[in-house]
Amino acid sequence: MSLRKTRQLALLLTVILMSGPAALAQQEIVDHPRDLVFAGLDFEPPDASQHRYELEHGAIAFVVEDHELPLVNIALSIRTGSFTAPGQATPGVASLTGSQLRSGGTASLAPADFDEELDFLAASVGSGFGATSGNANMNCLTKDLEACLGLFFEMLREPRFDEERMNLAKSQSRQSMERRNDSTTGIERREWSRLMYGNEHFSTQALTAADLESLTTEDLSAFHQFAVHPGNFLFAVSGDIEPDMIVAALNSYLSEWPVGEAAGDVPEPGFEPQPGLYLVHKEDVNQGRVSLGHLSTRLGNPDRFALQIMNDILGGGGFTSRIMSRVRSDEGLAYSAGANFGFGVHYEGSFRAAFQSRSEAVARATAIVLEEVERIRNEPVSEEELATSKASFIESFTRNFASAGQTAGLFASFEQQGRDFDYLNTYRENMAAVTAADVMRVAQEYLHPDRLVILAVGNVDDMLAGDPDHPDVLLEGLAPAGNVQRIPLPDPLTMQYPEQ
Amino acid sequence: MRRTLLALSVLMLAGTSSAFAQQVTPIVHQLENGMTFILIPRPGDPNISAGWVTKVGSVDESAGITGVAHLFEHMMFKGTETIGTTDAEADRRVIEHLDSLKGQIRRHEQELIRQQRLGLIDDWKNVEHRTAEHRDLLDDFETALAEQKGLIIKDDFDRIYTGQGASGMNAGTSNDFTVYFINVPANKLELWFWMESDRLNTPVFREFYSERDVVHEERRLRVDSTPTGLLNEQFNAMFWESSPYGWPVIGWPSDLYGLTREEALDFFDVYYAPNNLAAALVGDFDADEAIAWAEKYFGRIPRGPREPEPVRTEEMVQQSEKRMTGTAETTPQVQIRYHTVADGHVDEPALLVLGQILSGRTGRLFKSIVEDQELATQAFGSQSGLKYAGSFQVVAQAKGDTPPETVEKAIYAELERLKGEPVGERELQKVKNQNAAGEYRRLQSSFGLMVQLLIFEAGRGWETINTSGAALQAVTAEDIQRVASTYFEPENRSVAIYYRAESAEPEDPRLAGLDEQERQTITMVGQQLAGATAEQLTPLRQQLAQMEGQSAQVPPENQDMFELMIELIRERIAELEEEGE
Repeated sequence: MSLRKTRQLALLLTVILMSGPAALAQQEIVDHPRDLVFAGLDFEPPDASQHRYELEHGAIAFVVEDHELPLVNIALSIRTGSFTAPGQATPGVASLTGSQLRSGGTASLAPADFDEELDFLAASVGSGFGATSGNANMNCLTKDLEACLGLFFEMLREPRFDEERMNLAKSQSRQSMERRNDSTTGIERREWSRLMYGNEHFSTQALTAADLESLTTEDLSAFHQFAVHPGNFLFAVSGDIEPDMIVAALNSYLSEWPVGEAAGDVPEPGFEPQPGLYLVHKEDVNQGRVSLGHLSTRLGNPDRFALQIMNDILGGGGFTSRIMSRVRSDEGLAYSAGANFGFGVHYEGSFRAAFQSRSEAVARATAIVLEEVERIRNEPVSEEELATSKASFIESFTRNFASAGQTAGLFASFEQQGRDFDYLNTYRENMAAVTAADVMRVAQEYLHPDRLVILAVGNVDDMLAGDPDHPDVLLEGLAPAGNVQRIPLPDPLTMQYPEQ
Repeated sequence: MRRTLLALSVLMLAGTSSAFAQQVTPIVHQLENGMTFILIPRPGDPNISAGWVTKVGSVDESAGITGVAHLFEHMMFKGTETIGTTDAEADRRVIEHLDSLKGQIRRHEQELIRQQRLGLIDDWKNVEHRTAEHRDLLDDFETALAEQKGLIIKDDFDRIYTGQGASGMNAGTSNDFTVYFINVPANKLELWFWMESDRLNTPVFREFYSERDVVHEERRLRVDSTPTGLLNEQFNAMFWESSPYGWPVIGWPSDLYGLTREEALDFFDVYYAPNNLAAALVGDFDADEAIAWAEKYFGRIPRGPREPEPVRTEEMVQQSEKRMTGTAETTPQVQIRYHTVADGHVDEPALLVLGQILSGRTGRLFKSIVEDQELATQAFGSQSGLKYAGSFQVVAQAKGDTPPETVEKAIYAELERLKGEPVGERELQKVKNQNAAGEYRRLQSSFGLMVQLLIFEAGRGWETINTSGAALQAVTAEDIQRVASTYFEPENRSVAIYYRAESAEPEDPRLAGLDEQERQTITMVGQQLAGATAEQLTPLRQQLAQMEGQSAQVPPENQDMFELMIELIRERIAELEEEGE
């Protein structure tokens, strides 16, 4: 299948037919949709190698054409993030550099003028740096491509980092920081990372108010100099472009741009999570948030297909999954519930089942999730569950390629993660080959009830007291290895945890 | 069922309300029962975006049944004679029994409501006031519900679609229309015809009374327990004097308590009849085959008992300025609303462009009131043309201790400037460039195009998708000056001013520029994102790519929310990638 489309919209004819049933499909309507017979779907994923281009100075581009509309989209991912920094950089510099790249103007244009230029061209441009990757993107009309590329690369290469805009961003960031302990969602996310990856890993380092205060435009410029260069660039280009032309255009910007320092490897945590029940107390909430799990595995794992189906049946599949239907159908036990089996890109991901429920129901809901983890290890899943799960993965596979932009983006993320593109070609057959026995085997091999970490954030007294109608189910009784610990709330500005 | 990003889909709707002129040339087919099919085959991506619209919204309701149009959005997922039950016959008997019990219970409730009206009891919902007979009936009702539970297959409609690879199933209700939509793999189009025609042909409103309570709960969450929910509802009711646009889409609480299944069925018979429906398909399918299936599946549904009538009650001409003030746990703010024109009126294009001149990061209100005078954190204006009437609204959030009245005056100064001098050439061209680009951007996604076709069809016919863009390009500086002078008069406006309640905590600064509805949307998106798992990385990335492509076409008043949403999705994707896919 080619993704190259002709100008179909122009070719379509308007035909208004007032009546006249066609002679097709005159059989009776079947009684139930299960009796419908569908044709096979003739779909082969596009070949990534046909779209891959090596640019100047080690940059890579994936280009997927689609000439239906006169629009061009460029998504640039930059190999950088908070995992890396030049010398003794201040924490938080990556994130602020990423947002100020777009907001802070360029060498020749003050921030407001840069905004005005882009608005006049009806172009949209954005940027942001996360933990292990940064991105910058641009979308414009084909007729304005040259002008927009000029602005985009001026932003990338010569950002101004305007002081006033930076200070505005810092004051907003400071206000968010003050609210760090306000939401149980934020607390749960933070503490789960620390329980899985320890306090020393870059992924669990929190920015302090002092760090933020000390950041200067010079720091941003230095980080920009270190991180933003062709050696770290991976482009996903899509839309109304000829590959040769866009490759030449990108190269013209890259060729004069010296390659900087390589980003290096993302550090591994080297931390062994400790099984146990961890409690974080928040006085004023009536809902408990619970996460329960342990480290999982990495992306290249050959058991991935069976693991995805196992997780889908256990808790990943929304309303049809076991955890959701049991925890929810048990009247109001939880508002939402689910599970995720993560495959880490740079280090082990985590398996995490999570739910939110009213404080007194936390113990019972936790017990149910633990039962379900045991059950999927000890009994084969039903044929019906297996079939529904497999079908939902297989039948929705084509959605990955629903547009040129998605196709280019998918290829770029495979490249970035160093994955084998053949995965896409064999995905559906690999998924189809999974059996109930495989699901039970991977559940036994990869789910470890003895290693579970249970994190509960909420009103600890109410959660521990449990439900008076079910006095036999108590949260402390469910603590893995009998280990119960309390985690205090840190000072939101210094991130120092008080001694207990 | 992976019903992941409801709020995002809703936003897509919001984001596609401006007009464009890029020609769309569908194949259109009408069945003998009056149902219209709008078909755009688009080979390539092996998926089909499919949906249908019924031209009914809260404007078509009447006193006593407000909220019924929205209730359907819930009831339509409850199954049919075939879907959602293990025994259709037994299920029907239980439903009739429940109706009869509910009717008797209702009489007891009416008596208690009467007593409360006379001050004889404090609250009619207080259980202590119930008579023994009333309690027995409630017990019987619970027993019957328990019996029904054994006959129901929960979420059957969802499960069947999910098992066949369909995704993104959802629905939405507005003042003027109700839409239902989904994506199906290209080879499963017949399933869509089966499922959608079945739920229109033999719907069973099982769990009616519990679903009514769910909607009631939704109202409590979205209106009653949000800082400005009730105030906004009051402002809207104050603005519209006689028009049915004055009541909320979700309905008044007393109506939600009282609605019966019979009333819902009557409403269904008229407004969900094929002569009031249109469907749109965009994607990889064969038009002849789709037309044949349309005839086979939807052709069997009979025309309704009567043609729905246009709404009769017109808005009264306002005689003098209306004002209200309120106190809430929110950023101090001012909302100014003028009566203008309905969707499609000859003055509407100039009002839409005027709104764009005022709004956005480089718009007049932001530059003047936010950046130069530093009175507000956010300010925007926009025209909203509904089917029977319209309004122009300017909203601004006051900065720090600035009184909202000061912001109000600064807004009037900007509106007076529009009356006094023509807008600049480059300023106008900027807006036109954005509209021209928006015409293409909105066609990028098949799903977005399908939804727009339905909305245009429900309004003034799908053809108007092709004419509204040119109308925007034709707007002149003089047009803008003229409409500003015509509509921005003191006696034509309503003003709401909200002060911050003493107890209000400082809030997340990222929410500062957002109105209440947007905050709720952000909160919902936040919750959905928090619940997203790595399995949803692909749909999340799709959503992100789609949204990034669309950001320039989002109406200026939603721009801040849109950007925050993109930021939240990016953050969540990064987190999930961290956790591993």
